[in-house]
Amino acid sequence: MSNKLLSTLESTFSANRAEIQKKWISAIRAIRSPRFPEAINNSELQQQTTHLLDELASVFAAYPSAGKWEMGERNLLRQALRDVSEYGARIGFTPAETSAYLMSLKSVLTQVLLRELAKSPAKLQACIIAVDDVIGQMALVTFAAFVDARERIIAQQSASLIELATPVVRLWDRVLLLPLVGVIDTARARAFTENLLEAITRFEATVTIIDVTGVPMFDTAVARHLMKSVDAAQLLGSKVVMTGLSPEGALTLTKLGITLPQVITRATLRSGVAEALGILGKRIVTVPAKE
Amino acid sequence: MKVAIPRLGRILLVSIQQDLSDDAALEFQSNLLKTIAKSEALGVAMDISALDVVDSFMARMINDTACMARLLGAEVIVCGTQPCVAYTLVEMGRGLFGADCTFNLEEGLKTLKQRIASRGDRSLTEDSDHDGA
Repeated sequence: MSNKLLSTLESTFSANRAEIQKKWISAIRAIRSPRFPEAINNSELQQQTTHLLDELASVFAAYPSAGKWEMGERNLLRQALRDVSEYGARIGFTPAETSAYLMSLKSVLTQVLLRELAKSPAKLQACIIAVDDVIGQMALVTFAAFVDARERIIAQQSASLIELATPVVRLWDRVLLLPLVGVIDTARARAFTENLLEAITRFEATVTIIDVTGVPMFDTAVARHLMKSVDAAQLLGSKVVMTGLSPEGALTLTKLGITLPQVITRATLRSGVAEALGILGKRIVTVPAKE
Repeated sequence: MKVAIPRLGRILLVSIQQDLSDDAALEFQSNLLKTIAKSEALGVAMDISALDVVDSFMARMINDTACMARLLGAEVIVCGTQPCVAYTLVEMGRGLFGADCTFNLEEGLKTLKQRIASRGDRSLTEDSDHDGA
């Protein structure tokens, strides 16, 4: 590939840059996704594409006439692509949308080259091979960055989920309530069991109510965690009342062979509270209402 | 065949009047669970005196249903198991049902009421928390 061919690529790119950017933006807008139109607003899209095309121009200028071009680790284009894909991951692009974002540039560039260089097939071929190479590497970088960014976001989210507080509420003298909300995994189960046991010892709770109304799904793991907490609470001498199990939950537990024989189960938290007070020999009575 | 689930106060009466197909049995099971959850039933009396033959599926279904009902906070009594059914169950190694059993529905209801009377939430009704005790 001679320098002449490459300067053709650079000059064709610069000469048609405004058109390329315009077509690219409209191609991005045409990506069929319900989220897309609102996700990137016009000025952001303009800014992103300008930045990418700037870096792309310098890559084309430096594209070697012989041998392989490789995007360096510190290449500015790489950084620009990372920014774009991280942005995409944050606002919820799918991987397909992110790669379509870049692939639309390839088709725009190829069309422009085909039109401009129609009369010199040798130049055209060299330029298309170069474009293919560069965009291919860009796509790889984008995809890797996208996955990285997503994984980082997922890690953050699961960390915040673990930190989701599972408070142990002192409902009455010697009655504790553990309201469970959300997905129960090993880390959370360990955290709330420790809290619960500590609270049982501190308050000398005779009855502990575990309310599972907010637990969306039961499987063996969840059941095992629950049974561990229940067993531990009973070892300390507290009676356990479980409330708020859904029909689906009951079905799953029974199918898994878990019948919780030593646990008092009640349909609602209300019945559970009544039961707990009953165990303590207390009850709620009606008194004249306050004015 | 659809099994009706009439309500007697906060007790659900279930009378299985004829052999159920496997599908019908499962449908009955899920219906019963939904009804228990919706009505916050305190007790379920399951009358199986009309069943002359109980296969392993049916035995398991009744057992499971009893466990599930208990998990949903209801006491469960199985009433009127026929002698041949009881013998078959023992022969199959299933033992008796997971729930307590009584001779007939009348005794079943009596036992249920006794059990419910010892519960703390017996006097809660669906729309009031007045304790009449």
